[in-house]
Amino acid sequence: MSMRTPLSRVRGLGSAHEGTDHFWRQRLTAVANIPLMLFFVIFLVRYSDATHAEVVAALANPFVAVVFGLMLVSGLFHMRLGMQIVLEDYVHGEGAKIVVLMLNTFFTIAVGAVALFAVLKLGFGG
Amino acid sequence: MTNVSRNRPLSPHLTVWRPTITYVMSIVHRITGVALYAGTLLVAAWLIAAASGPESFERVNALFGSLIGRLVLLGYTWALMHHMLGGLRHLVWDTGRGLGKYESRKFGWATIAGSVTLTILIWIAGFALRS
Amino acid sequence: MVELTLPKNSQITAGKTWPKPEGATNTREFRVYRWSPDDGANPRIDTFHIDVDDCGPMVLDGLLWIKNKIDATLTLRRSCREGICGSCAMNIDGTNTLACTKGLDEIDGAVKIYPLPHLPVVKDLVPDLTNFYAQHRSIEPWLKTVSPEPAKEWRQSHDDRAKLDGLYECILCACCSASCPSYWWNGDRYLGPAVLLQAYRWLIDSRDEATGERLDNLEDPFRLYRCHTIMNCAQTCPKGLNPAKAIAEIKKMMVERRV
Repeated sequence: MSMRTPLSRVRGLGSAHEGTDHFWRQRLTAVANIPLMLFFVIFLVRYSDATHAEVVAALANPFVAVVFGLMLVSGLFHMRLGMQIVLEDYVHGEGAKIVVLMLNTFFTIAVGAVALFAVLKLGFGG
Repeated sequence: MTNVSRNRPLSPHLTVWRPTITYVMSIVHRITGVALYAGTLLVAAWLIAAASGPESFERVNALFGSLIGRLVLLGYTWALMHHMLGGLRHLVWDTGRGLGKYESRKFGWATIAGSVTLTILIWIAGFALRS
Repeated sequence: MVELTLPKNSQITAGKTWPKPEGATNTREFRVYRWSPDDGANPRIDTFHIDVDDCGPMVLDGLLWIKNKIDATLTLRRSCREGICGSCAMNIDGTNTLACTKGLDEIDGAVKIYPLPHLPVVKDLVPDLTNFYAQHRSIEPWLKTVSPEPAKEWRQSHDDRAKLDGLYECILCACCSASCPSYWWNGDRYLGPAVLLQAYRWLIDSRDEATGERLDNLEDPFRLYRCHTIMNCAQTCPKGLNPAKAIAEIKKMMVERRV
């Protein structure tokens, strides 16, 4: 049983003077995601039944490859920020929290590396 | 003095709360976000298969073209549309607008109606382009 | 991990059904959360029937009828019986509100009453609000100035005074904070809607000279940014106020001071 006063507990370690950056970046990527994801969905609809040669030809177009790459970067960035909030909400043990927050970043970078490598390879002609 | 506060029970919360549309849409926004997080693996798999050559591309395409594959993709489309519309609602809220007790409920219903409509339209377009 | 279910000592068991009042033709069923620190038992739900013809129209009237006529040990906070003191805040019919301003005619079927959600229970319908009050204290809810005190009063234009409308009416009943899932899971670090509305009331006060310091103290991933605009606060406020809007305005100020 802690004998600290309620106010001492509420003040805790003080304000982190942080959070606005996270808030801002989440909104920034959200706005970017709207056209990028619409492009992605239209691309998928258009090429849902395409042969390998057609898909390779589509991504060999520099515009398509670049927008695809931007979609991945913006989407993954947004996703990592969002998952960070979810993890902070539900994972309360300080040790476990640090581990899952690290895994969140590693997952994002791993998926990004694989997907961007594939887009670049296709963009430079398969 | 005995410590009376140690064994105090916690009052019930989730089980006694009557859900409103805003509350449900908030949970759905979170669930779709987490689903899209997992869904990036599908996108990465499709891209790496395309980059690896026709054979692996055909294999992944066959997987996505199966009944279960299509159901997953349908769910993915809806999650993406729902999260996007929910996000638009959040962007409006961030400007300080649309936060009224009743306005916000309308936003909630609009999100679900919009996401279902968009998903259906996207899939109709997808099948129409095929034939 | 966050506990989405109730701990063992908090799980609700079946309670007692008290006999219907004799001779009453028009009765109403009340199901009320009970817990006493004296017997070591788990919380339970007791069922009462009130005589509607002998009772006032509000939920609080019903609870006091039970306390006077059936079980005097039923414990609840109440004072003004007109929605200005905030004492009788509780969870009624699935939402948090004041028992004194909630009409029995607004509720279908049995009247289900619990203490404010996700708080330690002192007894029956009385939650422990120590943390809530300490959080309110932490935002320093008073005018802070550096300029020499004026001879008469700190002056404010009519327009600036109008900015406090929709904020000053808050009675700190804690209905909104206890409705917020984010506050349920992180109430030790998140200040919650009521306290943030109060914080905004001082941020927007034209006479205050500590706006920047106030924002500094709020700028924190947990204190402020656990608000995910779930909107339960605005849906449940018995005074018709909008904490979600106040929090959105604080977030706007945070962005405004850095771009």
